[in-house]
Amino acid sequence: MIATVNRLRTVGWLVLLALCLGLVLVTAFRVNALRSQIHRAEARIVALKQERLYLETEFETRSNQQQLKTWNDVEFGYAAPGAGQYLEGERALAALSVPARPDAPAPIRVASVDDSVIASSAFPAMVSPLSGKPQSTESARIAAADEDRDEPVQERAKAVETLSDRLGKVVDARPGGPVRKPTGAKVGPAGSGDDGKGRAAAAPAEKKGKPSEVAASPKTKPEKGAAPAGKPAVAEKPAAKPAKTAAATRPAKPKEARVTL
Amino acid sequence: MNALTASAAIATGRVRLANVRQQSLVEAKIRVLLVAALFLLAGIAAFVRIFQLGLSGNAPERRSLSEALLPPRGEITDRNGVPLARAFPAYALWFNPRALGQNGSPLVKTPEEVAAALMQIFPDADYNDLLRRLKSDKPGYLRQRVMPEEANRVFALGEPALEFPRENQRYYPQGSLGAHVLGYVDSEGKGHVGMEQVLEKQLLDPVQRARPVALSIDMRVQGALEDELGRGMLETDAKGAAGVILDVDTGEVVALASLPSFNPNRSDRALNELVFNKVTNQVYELGSTFKPLSVAAAIDAGVITDLAARYPADRPLEIGGFRIRDSHYLGASLNVPEALIHSSNIVTAQVADKLGGVALKRTMAALGMNERPFIELPARGFPLWPKGEWPRITTMTVSYGHGIAVTPLHLAAAYAAMVNGGVWRPATLFKVDPAKAPEGRRVFKASTSARMRQLLRMIVVDGTGKSANAPGFRVGGKTGSAEKPGGRGGYNRTSLVATFAAAFPMDKPRYVVIAMLDEPKGTAATSYQRTAAWNAAPIVGRVVPRIGPLLGVVPDDTRDIDISDLSPLVGKGEKP
Repeated sequence: MIATVNRLRTVGWLVLLALCLGLVLVTAFRVNALRSQIHRAEARIVALKQERLYLETEFETRSNQQQLKTWNDVEFGYAAPGAGQYLEGERALAALSVPARPDAPAPIRVASVDDSVIASSAFPAMVSPLSGKPQSTESARIAAADEDRDEPVQERAKAVETLSDRLGKVVDARPGGPVRKPTGAKVGPAGSGDDGKGRAAAAPAEKKGKPSEVAASPKTKPEKGAAPAGKPAVAEKPAAKPAKTAAATRPAKPKEARVTL
Repeated sequence: MNALTASAAIATGRVRLANVRQQSLVEAKIRVLLVAALFLLAGIAAFVRIFQLGLSGNAPERRSLSEALLPPRGEITDRNGVPLARAFPAYALWFNPRALGQNGSPLVKTPEEVAAALMQIFPDADYNDLLRRLKSDKPGYLRQRVMPEEANRVFALGEPALEFPRENQRYYPQGSLGAHVLGYVDSEGKGHVGMEQVLEKQLLDPVQRARPVALSIDMRVQGALEDELGRGMLETDAKGAAGVILDVDTGEVVALASLPSFNPNRSDRALNELVFNKVTNQVYELGSTFKPLSVAAAIDAGVITDLAARYPADRPLEIGGFRIRDSHYLGASLNVPEALIHSSNIVTAQVADKLGGVALKRTMAALGMNERPFIELPARGFPLWPKGEWPRITTMTVSYGHGIAVTPLHLAAAYAAMVNGGVWRPATLFKVDPAKAPEGRRVFKASTSARMRQLLRMIVVDGTGKSANAPGFRVGGKTGSAEKPGGRGGYNRTSLVATFAAAFPMDKPRYVVIAMLDEPKGTAATSYQRTAAWNAAPIVGRVVPRIGPLLGVVPDDTRDIDISDLSPLVGKGEKP
């Protein structure tokens, strides 16, 4: 009986040993398999990277500067862009819609002037998105004398507010309201009498009625017709709201606009 | 009987059982021993292996990913990471006469036919040379580098003796572009001429070569410069051309071209006189381009306080038997802006005379004109620099760029110092972080630099540099047409070096551009003129619009440097 127990124990040990051995073997095989997989993957990565290098080099060779130049001479004929093809920023973009007056000074800014301050301060604080014209008559005068540097220089912080800053408020201050009416009406004649861009923007309004009508009687203007033109004007809402009257003074507006931002 | 047999049977059965038991015991013991011995052996073997591995460390060889991808020679890129030189497993064309066995002809067709077929694939090859190699019994290269499609066409010939071993070679994807900057690698893997020679150690170092070396060159700018210089060279039938574009604030060389160039991909043919770098190695008397430097020195020293002051210019200046004359009559008297605009030697010499040799020499030395140019390239020419105390006549001739010969790179660095606010910085071919630009040394006052920017702009607006006036780029610069030394101990009137040294944009200078033509001829394209105003200035006028937008300088018609305080000093159109 004791012998049987002993033998059973021995057999048990042996089975355990065999099991361990088997497990070790299985693990070793798995490890080795994984290792060779990694090795294969690495080899493939190396091969692919080398192939990429090869293709990249071929591409660089086929598209080298001399080759591109030859193609351009024969096929495309591209030339270097001129000054007319660049716009410096929002200010230059906005300036496109304002035709130069006959007596306007040459728009050349010379290097001896620190033009960043003047440029930003000369920029009217509140522009109508329809016409690119400033809202009040006073700011209209300043915009016309854009290059004159003798106008009162605004507070710098106020002056550097760029168009993109203000456009950014369109999204933020969207709550719809009837405020767009006075701005649309006020801006209409200025825009239509101004230049191509202004006319294009005001075109939807003209469909419903004559432009002069729109200008003369803002109350009669149907909501629908004003909508396309008035939509961008929503931006002005926060500024116009507290001012109420169209003849609000200019410096007050950006301050109010700033609060809403 | 029965009992007897039964007892006998029992007895034998017992004996047999005892035997079996005995045998089993022995067998079991032997087995235990065997198993123990096996375990012992295995254990010993394992230990031996462990010791062996531990001692010798001879593990099975495995190359890591980074090792496998480590190039045999480091890559060189431009400032934007475009590869300019890389190790590349290219095909070579190898002739193996043993490919078809020891006996018989190695080729299927006759050598003449094969050579003729190869000539069709490689038109630039030498037929007789190919034929000689194909007929010989020795293996060898027929061609060092073959493009894949060419290899395919050769393979289609069906000659087993023509083999394509892939070999690691140095490859320049841009071909001859920037060849003088890069240099080339010979068949032994040694770098020559350019940065390949300078960076030899770094490119071969296993630790450093994994990372590409970024140069300051912009390949697109280099392409535009070489293209326009090449065009100018062809138009004027010039012997050669050189050009350099320098960042005025950091001293980085954005482009450097010396034409005619060589092809670094054909290293076997690269070793010829074309590897000579005209920008850094050849010294020239650069003529009138020195006038702004002299005027700047005079303004800086307080010698010129009134730009409206007029100097006589009606007759040649005679100093010790030497006559200083202008190219043509420019007027009875000229002020300094007019002298620069019309490029008057007589007035510049008078200004330099007032300034004195000591001050002019000091300024020129501060601009690095008395030593080899500062650049990493190995080929740097030593200027012809008048030694000792400068006599009057030397001071005068140096002021308009004669009697002193420097490389175009010297001139570029000096112009950079003149327009960037007055700080001279060494030129470099390595990419420089703008925040870590070398401090440099101050040569001119900032006010002098501002004044010179106005004067250089005026030369381009009203003077000899008109054809360099790229619209919107506010170019400023100075022409220089110097006669080459030669003839009977003097100057050769018919061979010129035409230079245009420019900077743009003048309201805030960013880059200096130097274009130089070696012995341009008067052709129909230049209205039969040979001076820089007709050949070198138009090159700059065409290069600047091409490179400006690439370098972040946008053309703008609404900006310019203010020259309104100087314009009234210049009589426009009429001669004074």
